[in-house]
Amino acid sequence: MSKEIKYTEAFEELQQIVADIEDGEISVDELSVKVKRASELIKVCKTKLTSTEEDVNQILKELED
Amino acid sequence: MSESPQIFTLQQVVSSIRKTIEERYNRTYWVKAEMHKLGRTRAGHCYPELVQKEEGKIVAEMRGTIWKHSFERINQRFMQVVKEPLKEDTTLLMNVKVSFHEIYGMSLQISDIDPNYSLGELQRERAETLKKLQKNGLIDANQGIDFPLLPKRVAVISADSSKGLSDFMKVINENSWGYRFFTLLFPASLQGDQAEHSIIAQLNKIKKVQSHFDIVAIVRGGGGEVGMSCYNNYNLCKAIATFPLPVLTGIGHSTNLTVAEMVSYRNAITPTELGDFLIQAFHNFSLPLKDAAKTIKVQSIQAVEVNKLQLGRTSSSFSAAVRGALGQEKLVLNGAKNEIKAGAKERIVFFKERISQVERSMASQGKMSLQLQHAQLRRITEQLPLHTKSSLLKNKNTFEHAVQSIRLMNPINVLKRGFSITTFNGKTIGESNNVKNGDVVSTRTAKFTIESEVITMKKADE
Repeated sequence: MSKEIKYTEAFEELQQIVADIEDGEISVDELSVKVKRASELIKVCKTKLTSTEEDVNQILKELED
Repeated sequence: MSESPQIFTLQQVVSSIRKTIEERYNRTYWVKAEMHKLGRTRAGHCYPELVQKEEGKIVAEMRGTIWKHSFERINQRFMQVVKEPLKEDTTLLMNVKVSFHEIYGMSLQISDIDPNYSLGELQRERAETLKKLQKNGLIDANQGIDFPLLPKRVAVISADSSKGLSDFMKVINENSWGYRFFTLLFPASLQGDQAEHSIIAQLNKIKKVQSHFDIVAIVRGGGGEVGMSCYNNYNLCKAIATFPLPVLTGIGHSTNLTVAEMVSYRNAITPTELGDFLIQAFHNFSLPLKDAAKTIKVQSIQAVEVNKLQLGRTSSSFSAAVRGALGQEKLVLNGAKNEIKAGAKERIVFFKERISQVERSMASQGKMSLQLQHAQLRRITEQLPLHTKSSLLKNKNTFEHAVQSIRLMNPINVLKRGFSITTFNGKTIGESNNVKNGDVVSTRTAKFTIESEVITMKKADE
């Protein structure tokens, strides 16, 4: 569950950075930090689109309990 | 003569009953009854148990008969009209003929069942389910759940190896964007009488492991348009509506929207469309990412450019401003310099003049003063011995005169000239030192001291 929250948060944080940059609210001083952060977030989110970590065996085990 | 009783064979009796019944019930009747069990035989004939219940208790019961050909015809019409096969435990409107068979006894021979009546019953059930859900506030309970940003872990409730399932899996697994879903099948009966319990049981299973899933998809397809009335069942609809995860339906049919589809988080007409919906959700997540990357790139470059431009403009205007300010200051400085120069010259001349003035006046005054002092000094020098001599002389005269006076004043000298001094008790005689007769007074002359007694005393004339 924590991983899911992470990508949701990552997505929201990314949207915020984009909005801030678009509104010109990010100074040139912060810019490189923000851009770096944004690219990390994009990477996290993109990975989520193309991979899964769920373990069928774990689910089946929990179902048996 | 004893009349022996008439004896009938069983067949005669039964035949008689049959004849009577056939005569009495010589037409067909429309009968409303609940079909408890269909009782279909291998041969294809059905012997349903027909009952009437009142407050849950059976108040009438009779066996029915549906011959194979009738059953097939009835069932076909049911499929067309009701989209359901004949279902047990439902109230039907049947066209019956009372029949009596020599071997099988009484039964109602069912020649027809009104599908429209059954359809009405189903619609009534659907309406009742809706009403009950509404009353309990469950109609949009599932729709009130937050949909996950990425519906990537899907618990699929479907019939194993159904066409609907494979359509669905194909759409989400063979997408060209590389999106990856995690799916786990929870097999269930998706239509007919079993569906209600089967689906509810799987929903309960999923609830146990719900942390592993984002959504539930109920997928059905390829099973024809029949057996859908389970989706109007209250218990099933309630289970869907109250499920803690969004439940999406894609149960592929073209009849009226079922209540289950109405209460699900989202209904797709077909499993394929349901798959497309999930892909779209991934797009909705993916596109902003791409846009974000683009926006950030463009905006960053722009921001840097703008700052560069501003910097350039500022530095050029800065140097102009500096040059201007320097020129201005230089001018002011030059002005001040000239002023100081001129002022200083003026002051120097002025003070020079003052100094020579003072010099001049000091020289003349000094000379005059010296001359004056000199003259005074000379005068004093001249006068000094003159004054001294006369003063000394004068003092000598005064002194000599004083010596003379003092000598003259000595009483001895007076006594020598014949005068004497009479004293009483050592003091001269006067008002304060009076003598009376008999007192001894002492008289001093130049040569002697005489002691004498007062005899008389007369006040001398003044």
